[in-house]
Amino acid sequence: MIGSRGRVTGTIGPGLIGEVLLSIRGGTEAFYAYPLNPEESFESGTQVLVVDFEPPRTVYVERWQPIGR
Amino acid sequence: MEPLVLVGVIVGAIIVLFVILRLLYKVAEPNEALIISGLGVRVERTETADSLGFKIITGKGVLVMPGFQTARRLSLDTRGVNLQVSCVTKQGLPVTVRAVVIYKVGDDFASIANSARRFLDQQKGMNDTIHELFSGHLRSIVGGLTIEQMIHNRDALTGEVRQSSATEMIKLGLIVDSLQIQEIEDESGYILNLGKPHAAAIAASARIAEAQRDQEATTAEQESAALKAAAVRESQIQQAGYQAEVDQAKAKASQSGPLAEATARQEVVVQETRAAELEADLAEQKLQSQVRKPADARAYETRTTADADRDAQIAKAQAEAKETELRAGADATRVKTAAEAEAQSTKARAEATASATRATGEAEAAAWKAKGLAEADAARAKGLADADAAKAKGLAEAESIKARAAALAENTEAVVAQQLAEKWPEIVEAGAKAFSNIDHMVVLNGADGMSDMFAKALSLGGTGLGLAKQLMDAMGSNGVGTSGPGTGELAKQNGDLTTRD
Repeated sequence: MIGSRGRVTGTIGPGLIGEVLLSIRGGTEAFYAYPLNPEESFESGTQVLVVDFEPPRTVYVERWQPIGR
Repeated sequence: MEPLVLVGVIVGAIIVLFVILRLLYKVAEPNEALIISGLGVRVERTETADSLGFKIITGKGVLVMPGFQTARRLSLDTRGVNLQVSCVTKQGLPVTVRAVVIYKVGDDFASIANSARRFLDQQKGMNDTIHELFSGHLRSIVGGLTIEQMIHNRDALTGEVRQSSATEMIKLGLIVDSLQIQEIEDESGYILNLGKPHAAAIAASARIAEAQRDQEATTAEQESAALKAAAVRESQIQQAGYQAEVDQAKAKASQSGPLAEATARQEVVVQETRAAELEADLAEQKLQSQVRKPADARAYETRTTADADRDAQIAKAQAEAKETELRAGADATRVKTAAEAEAQSTKARAEATASATRATGEAEAAAWKAKGLAEADAARAKGLADADAAKAKGLAEAESIKARAAALAENTEAVVAQQLAEKWPEIVEAGAKAFSNIDHMVVLNGADGMSDMFAKALSLGGTGLGLAKQLMDAMGSNGVGTSGPGTGELAKQNGDLTTRD
């Protein structure tokens, strides 16, 4: 779960509960998402990296950094 | 036999064993989780083992020992709940919101464990719980949004849904797949008014566009109609012109028939007139030749015949008259000669007596002459001659009459004839007067007839009588001096005779 890449489907930001669609258990599931850095915010469609997981359905994300950039 | 029974027993035992195993083996289907609890449940996940003594099986099968273990199925299917909530929006507008919530049990073991502990025996009542839960959540969600956001901003809606329900969903082990607002009933008319300006603008622009297009269309139509009218006018003018020509030609044609007929008829009439004239001429000629000429001829014949007859009659009458005259003349001459002879003898005798008488008379006359000579000189001179003459004549006549009377005693007819002979011209004249009114007279008996005619004319009517009387008077007046009544009686006798004759 941690280290996997997901796509934001609900805006993640301070004071908001975002949503991230992740590939897991052979399917895709939506998880509640919070920014790892509370100041950051991610619009829908942004790719994020899951850096923390809080069972059962909460993840902390940060911005996905493509290799070579 | 022995081994066959053994095989049969083995087979039966295998079948029985399979059936038993089949009955005891439980399989978790993809949309469900098997919750196994009971004797010997081996919990593999350490993090949950300390608290929960049940095993969760998904996607696999497991042999469940009846009586010692229980296997319960928890559906992981999606469920839907209809919600209807009356609430107020962020702007304080009262609305009634109808929504549907699609949710399911989470797929991870934590969620399954949470929800299994809460809903395993009341899976049917899960919808009621969720309905109650989300009614409250929907109120808070609607309260956090404006109507515009609810309608337009889907992201904001789902954000609010997560915001309000995430923690509780995690507690219940459920995840919300979707929350859809189906209908917003707006008592204040906010939504209606929200659309009105736009609707009005759209309607206005639509009307403007319609009016413009209509104007253009009308313009085009009117231009087209004007062009059409002009074309129709041109066409009608031309048609009228052609029609007028056609009518003229028709009229001319229709006139030419009667005209020709009239002309023909006129010529026919002329010819007929000529024929009639010719026929009239012919008839006239026919009349001329058949009627008039014969009539003329007949008339001419009749006239000529009549003329000839008349001439013949006249000639005959003249001849007869002449004959009668001559005969009368001859008779008269004969009678006269006889009478003269008589008279000569009578005269000779009378002269003898007369001379005696004269001698006495002369003496008396001389006496008388001497007496009345003074006053009777003139009368005597005049009357003397007359008297002498008359006397002489009267004497002579008296003598003659006397002689005639004497002779009459002897031969009355001779005297009458003589008198008649003496007065013959007058008688003839008077008779001729009586006949003067007659133009043309045919006397059938010749000279004798003529005599009869005269005699009858003298005896009949006033003219004849008058004539006879005149004759008698004339004779009477001649004999007055000498004979007096004697001669008058004689004359009367003569008249009687004449009348009688």
